Amino acid sequence: MKSATALRYAAAILTVTLAGAFAARDARAETSYVVPSLSDFSGPFSSVMPALGGARESVIGWWNADVGSKIGVKLVMKAYDTRFDTAQTASLWPGILAEKPLVGFALGGPDTAALQQRLPNDKVVMLLASASNGFGWRPNQWVLSMRPTFVHEQVGFIDWYQKTKLGGKRPVKVALVTSEASPSYADIAKGITAYAKANPNVVELVEVVFAEVQPADLTLQMRRVTNAGADVILAPASLQQAIAVKRALQALGKKVPVAFSMHNAPGFIAKPMGGIESLEGDYETQSGVIATNEDTEAKRFYDMLVAKHGLKAPWHGITAAGIAQTLLLVRSVEAATRRNGPAKLNGEMIHQTLLDTPITGASLFGYSPDLSYNISAPFPVYNPKVNIGVVKDGKVTTAASGYPIPKLDRW
Amino acid sequence: MEASGVFFTTYAGDRSLVRTRPQWIALSLLMLVLVALPWLAPERWISMGYTIFITAVAVVGLQICTGYAGQINLGQSAFMGVGAYACAVSVSQWSFPLPAGLLFGGAAAAAFGSLFGISAARIKGFYLALTTIAAQALFHFFVLNLPSRWLGGPGGVSIEGIAIFGVDLANDTAIYYLTLVVLVVMTGGAFGIVRARHGRAFEAVRDDDVAAGMMGIDVTRTKVRAFLVSAFYAGIAGGLWAVALRHVSVEQFSLFSSIWLIAMMIVGGLGSIVGALIGTVVIQFAREAVTTLGPSLSQAFPVVGQDIVFASMNVLLGTVVILFLLFEPKGLMHRVTSAKQAFRRWPFPY
Repeated sequence: MKSATALRYAAAILTVTLAGAFAARDARAETSYVVPSLSDFSGPFSSVMPALGGARESVIGWWNADVGSKIGVKLVMKAYDTRFDTAQTASLWPGILAEKPLVGFALGGPDTAALQQRLPNDKVVMLLASASNGFGWRPNQWVLSMRPTFVHEQVGFIDWYQKTKLGGKRPVKVALVTSEASPSYADIAKGITAYAKANPNVVELVEVVFAEVQPADLTLQMRRVTNAGADVILAPASLQQAIAVKRALQALGKKVPVAFSMHNAPGFIAKPMGGIESLEGDYETQSGVIATNEDTEAKRFYDMLVAKHGLKAPWHGITAAGIAQTLLLVRSVEAATRRNGPAKLNGEMIHQTLLDTPITGASLFGYSPDLSYNISAPFPVYNPKVNIGVVKDGKVTTAASGYPIPKLDRW
Repeated sequence: MEASGVFFTTYAGDRSLVRTRPQWIALSLLMLVLVALPWLAPERWISMGYTIFITAVAVVGLQICTGYAGQINLGQSAFMGVGAYACAVSVSQWSFPLPAGLLFGGAAAAAFGSLFGISAARIKGFYLALTTIAAQALFHFFVLNLPSRWLGGPGGVSIEGIAIFGVDLANDTAIYYLTLVVLVVMTGGAFGIVRARHGRAFEAVRDDDVAAGMMGIDVTRTKVRAFLVSAFYAGIAGGLWAVALRHVSVEQFSLFSSIWLIAMMIVGGLGSIVGALIGTVVIQFAREAVTTLGPSLSQAFPVVGQDIVFASMNVLLGTVVILFLLFEPKGLMHRVTSAKQAFRRWPFPY
């Protein structure tokens, strides 16, 4: 009798223990979602892809360990080499879609061209690290950029330069170097020209120089624009153009400041130019973080990724862009999980969350200002801001942080 | 050469394309597999399928111009672009039905392409190659600089809600079948062209244009016709591409794409329609294989790093193409023909 009672107690204890164990396991269970990472390891951006891809991987690793495990979501990043080619992206996409992704990393124009028409049906949000374009400024887009257009970023710089360097006394004389070989670069010319036409008190566009993406020499063109009295030269297009502009100015012995973008920032072209000293007084202008060595929250987050999550990429604009893009992705998943629970997330929830919920700059560790999307544009169209870096005493330093970009109409 | 014992007693038999029962069986099986593929294979295969079909239409056109007529053409991708834009604009802005839009795309590309045929009347070889490269530059220049309301400028043209004979083309399976049907029709047409007097004129001009002229062939017109036909095929392929993506932009049609089309033709074998199809399939499969293998390897060996894995995949792809060219410079079709002849003669070596 006693042994039977003991057996009953033992069975009850075992049942309770097992039930508890299962319950605990369920509490810890994570729902996994595949995050496609469209990459270019064999096309025009293959040289920067290790930094961008490494940054994406390390942030996903950090988030899974520190945040995802607590809210019951695990993100599994899967890289696909699209070669920055529309045909390859289009061909890969149905296979990617079979893995039921909610949100993924896009790379640029070819991804957007291949997917923009089908993403609203496929219900997958793709996030871009690069700046947006004027021709992509259309409502109800599912390829979202965290930066406004290149034109917004350049216009922000022009406005800042005119107000702070010239005291707002006269329009700043600007020359733009870009190319007709790429729609994005051609769009920059269109947008800056439209802005200059609408704001003659702020800017006087002395010339738009259309050059090849990889020009051999721009001395003649730079002689023209410096003789025309350009206060500043904008070179937001390719890395090679940025280098050609600087070499031409060196050859002519002219010291006109040049404003670059994120992908051809002074930090990148310092090496081919023979050192950062040759870029003294030049600018980097973009809405993402400026990769300075100042003790910022962004830099501390980068250092943490290097120390704890195996990030090997050096601290520069591309790495920062990869980190920023991934932070936006994980924060959007996080916000959608809070609203809908971890188990049955879908792309539409992520899209809606991004449209409804502002992502604060603090939650992005300073990698971006506050981001608020709405249905009218694929980038944060209201109150966009620009960060400006300048090379000073052989170092990239912050010249302006969160400078408000003047309101732009579509061009 | 026919196999021993295969001969025809009627004119219809002599001019037939599919000549023996085994050929009929093989072709029927292939068509059956292609038709059943969307039900049997994963989604990825469907998109691979229509990418291959669309590319094959352009490569078959290139084969007629370069493989048969001997006119080097490095502008096939630009001709595709012209067809894509013409089809997209006619369908989305002028409300053309899709078949008419595709034909309009083909016709627009043919008109653009025949301009380069005229230049081929006076120049040949490398000079002609350089001239056709100009097609790429002109295409980019026109699209980006014409008023945006015409061709969308840098933003391109989008197509909304496209259908053919009441079938919605917003899904991959419908696109697959549409492109398969068009490929079959265009391949049949290509066989018709190369077996007719035009095809014989193409070959005569390719082999010796002076001799062809002395035989009474209008060499200039033949060259223009070769470019016209080739560009028409490219235009149809471009139209299909616009339908598949529902968006056309200028960067989709680069010189690099033209070079890939030439690589497919060379790997398949110059001067053979089937060779063009085989070359397209082999190169596209090789590209897809390395692209598919990359993510799996990257996940299986995370310590190696994505950059090294993907770079290795592309080295592998390049090596495969080089090996093809080293060991079978006449193209895969030559190897297929040799194997077929050896099989027919077996057990005799000659």
